[in-house]
Amino acid sequence: MKPLGRGDIIDLHGSSFPSIIVGMKKRYWRCFVCNDVHYGIAPPELCPTCKVLSAYVEISAAEARQILGCGAATAMTPDGFRAAIESFAAANEFRVNPDGGRVDLLLKGIFENERKYGLKFCPCRVRTKDWDEDLRIICPCNFTIHETYKGIKDGECWCGLFVRRT
Amino acid sequence: MAKLLMFHGQECPHCHRMMPQVEKLETETGIRIEKREVWHDEANQDLMRGYKDILKPKCGGQLRVPAFLNPETQDALCGEVEYEKLKDWALKQ
Repeated sequence: MKPLGRGDIIDLHGSSFPSIIVGMKKRYWRCFVCNDVHYGIAPPELCPTCKVLSAYVEISAAEARQILGCGAATAMTPDGFRAAIESFAAANEFRVNPDGGRVDLLLKGIFENERKYGLKFCPCRVRTKDWDEDLRIICPCNFTIHETYKGIKDGECWCGLFVRRT
Repeated sequence: MAKLLMFHGQECPHCHRMMPQVEKLETETGIRIEKREVWHDEANQDLMRGYKDILKPKCGGQLRVPAFLNPETQDALCGEVEYEKLKDWALKQ
């Protein structure tokens, strides 16, 4: 299958979503060499960490949680998250909003949401309490398909954390 | 005049920018818009979710803020909009 650009992937209900994966449920996979855990409809051919081919075996959600929960304790501060999204944006056509005050406000909301709901939900959208639907508003969301960004010269994500590089 | 609602979030920059516009509208027209903060108030979140069938089609298929709603006519306006657009919407309610 031809690799898709971020903007090509609409969403699970979009017409241009690759038909091969519509209706398929994501499952958990574990690299039998280095214990990398993958969540997806199919295992990666190549483990991105240890580079071993055909290394993934399917595991249960409970097993995946155990593996992920027992790893080295990590915590992400707002500064750490800011660095992560800067790095993420660096390889893309968008960047983190240069308005630092706005970013500070958004990060405050994102971390408040994580504290209350366990995930970094967008501070400009409300959870529907439908799990699959709410997964789509974790920051960064796939805003490249949204009407506030796609095809817009100075487009931005709904909350304005990411803006198109001009 | 029908009751109008504004759903907003404390950490939402669009909502911050819309607040002075809403206050201007209230002063200029006498229209009152009831503000419901959704990120720090579960009851307001539930209220907003209760209107999801009306709000989502106007808000890109999601429950985005800021969102303005007339619960009576089920008419909604979503996002950071120009003052005149907000005023037009409010006046036709």
